[in-house]
Amino acid sequence: MPEENRVMSGIRAVLNGKGETHIAKKKHLSKMMLLIGFILLMTMFVAALCIGPDGIMSPIDAFSNLFSAIGKGGTDMTNDEVRVYSSRMPRAIAAIAVGLGLSIAGAGYQAVIRNPLVDPYIMGVSSGAGTFAIASIAYGFTFFGLVSAHSPFLIAASAIVGGLLAFVATMVLAHMAGASTNAYVLSGVVIGLIFGAIQTVMILFSGHAVSNTMLWLFGSFSQITMRETLCVLIPAVILSVFIMRYSKELNLVLLGDDQARQMGLNVKRFNAMILILSSVLAAFCVAFCGIIGFVGLIIPHLCRMIFGGDHRIVLPASIAFGGAIMIGADLLARMIMPGLELPVGSITTLIGVPVFAYLLYKRGKIYNG
Amino acid sequence: MDEVPLLEVRNLNKVYDNGYHADKDVSFELSSGLLVGLIGPNGCGKTTLMRCINKMHSITSGDILIDGESVLPKSPAEVARLVSNVPAELTASFGLTVFETVMLGRYPYLQNMWWETEEDETMVVDTLKKFGVYHLQDRALNMLSSGERQRVMIAKAYVQNPRLMLVDEPTSHLDMKYKLDVMEYLRAMVKQDMTILVAEHDISLMARYCDLCIIMKKGELVAVGDPKKVITEQLIRDVYEVEASVGTDKDGEIFVLPKRFVGDYHL
Repeated sequence: MPEENRVMSGIRAVLNGKGETHIAKKKHLSKMMLLIGFILLMTMFVAALCIGPDGIMSPIDAFSNLFSAIGKGGTDMTNDEVRVYSSRMPRAIAAIAVGLGLSIAGAGYQAVIRNPLVDPYIMGVSSGAGTFAIASIAYGFTFFGLVSAHSPFLIAASAIVGGLLAFVATMVLAHMAGASTNAYVLSGVVIGLIFGAIQTVMILFSGHAVSNTMLWLFGSFSQITMRETLCVLIPAVILSVFIMRYSKELNLVLLGDDQARQMGLNVKRFNAMILILSSVLAAFCVAFCGIIGFVGLIIPHLCRMIFGGDHRIVLPASIAFGGAIMIGADLLARMIMPGLELPVGSITTLIGVPVFAYLLYKRGKIYNG
Repeated sequence: MDEVPLLEVRNLNKVYDNGYHADKDVSFELSSGLLVGLIGPNGCGKTTLMRCINKMHSITSGDILIDGESVLPKSPAEVARLVSNVPAELTASFGLTVFETVMLGRYPYLQNMWWETEEDETMVVDTLKKFGVYHLQDRALNMLSSGERQRVMIAKAYVQNPRLMLVDEPTSHLDMKYKLDVMEYLRAMVKQDMTILVAEHDISLMARYCDLCIIMKKGELVAVGDPKKVITEQLIRDVYEVEASVGTDKDGEIFVLPKRFVGDYHL
């Protein structure tokens, strides 16, 4: 413990600066967060442009390829330009978008439901998204002809609809059960189980499509195009910034609905808004890249354990770490076994669990209720 | 105009959706700078009354005025700057430190500011020191003992800088020492421009510390007055249907010793 404390307090001393007061320290920390976040994301982004199973290039080569490809307008590109511009850049940006989106959605859920266990998975969103996505992948489900069977957005649209459907089911059940925090968690788990069971049956009978469905269920950025990337990035950034604006209110609801209400917050409306925004955000994140586990649960906690519980720090930190860690996980997924790309969801879970277990062991006391 | 009471409750009625009439035609006035005890059996409408005063519940009829102005048309944020409340028990929270929790008391004053000001911080630090929880400022709220947590929540309500502070059963799960402790703090906190209304079951404790007590039974006001005069064996018998000895110790303090049920009361 003492060693760990010394390291932690060392980190804090640097981050807190020489500010005398709590507020001065927090202001300094949030500025540092912007700087660190920017450097971290840029570093990982550059690394993702340079490194791939089909060759490693220097950052200068990577950028010259990128800019020449942009200059050519994405046509008549050399092999290296195609690698950087059409493959590595979209997936790096998508990884950032999904990483920050899932982290912010998880942080929002955890604050509003006041339960450190909830994330888009516990809330049933990802199971619903998965079920509908599989229906489209394996059975060509097109919403009864509403979406063209050849549309590149068919799977994504199914996933978003499925995710929101599961979310609504969770909310309805939780409200009927009294809307306590336990009701939310239990409802999410139960709804998740139902969709999970439907998924299993569908996969069992999906025949030749089974590997495609499994790839989607574990999440992957390998197939993503620039157009799809923008479809994740734009909503993820807009919704995350919107949720971040309510950092103070997210702090307030940690004290419970009654306390937040008597301090002037319209708690019912606020909670509903954050839950809906987080669910839409999570649905967009899983729609194009499949289910990537554990990020929405772990990243906000990681940031709380390192930087404290104030959402004015936790949310920007979640954006920086969520984005950076997701690029890192995607790099590992590409590089760890030459010639075979692993699903990024399995990497995040495999790395996330031990890190989380360690932090929980060291600093888990803050969650004793 | 200098006689305007801090709080005036006028013919307050609260009927719940299920038809339960929790507060019946309750009227009273409180002036500024008092520690007031709200006493009565379980279910007599104490908590409902408090929740009506800070607009947590809508009221069925009547009016509630603070400094002569009705709170009914006021926005939640406006009410939050006039009335603060200390909950009987805090639901589990995670991640916030003692300092951050107390600082949340400044939320109603933040408006559109992103960070609290230096003045807010000075106020919080002074309050933490005053309530003897300054040394706990960086501890996680949910790692404190219930006595410490109660003090922190009182400090938070104090920092909210209200005209009226509502405290619901602050000592219900505390031992004798912490009960005294909490009451001493509440006593010390009453200022010229703030009144504290405490709902509490321990009548002896209320008699010892309160300037005024309000006695309720089945949603109705039974008595309002100096606890040393109001609290009698007959009153306890009427309100609680319990026979009790009410005595005075050598310091002139009242104590109440419950002895037996009156009549053929069965649990």
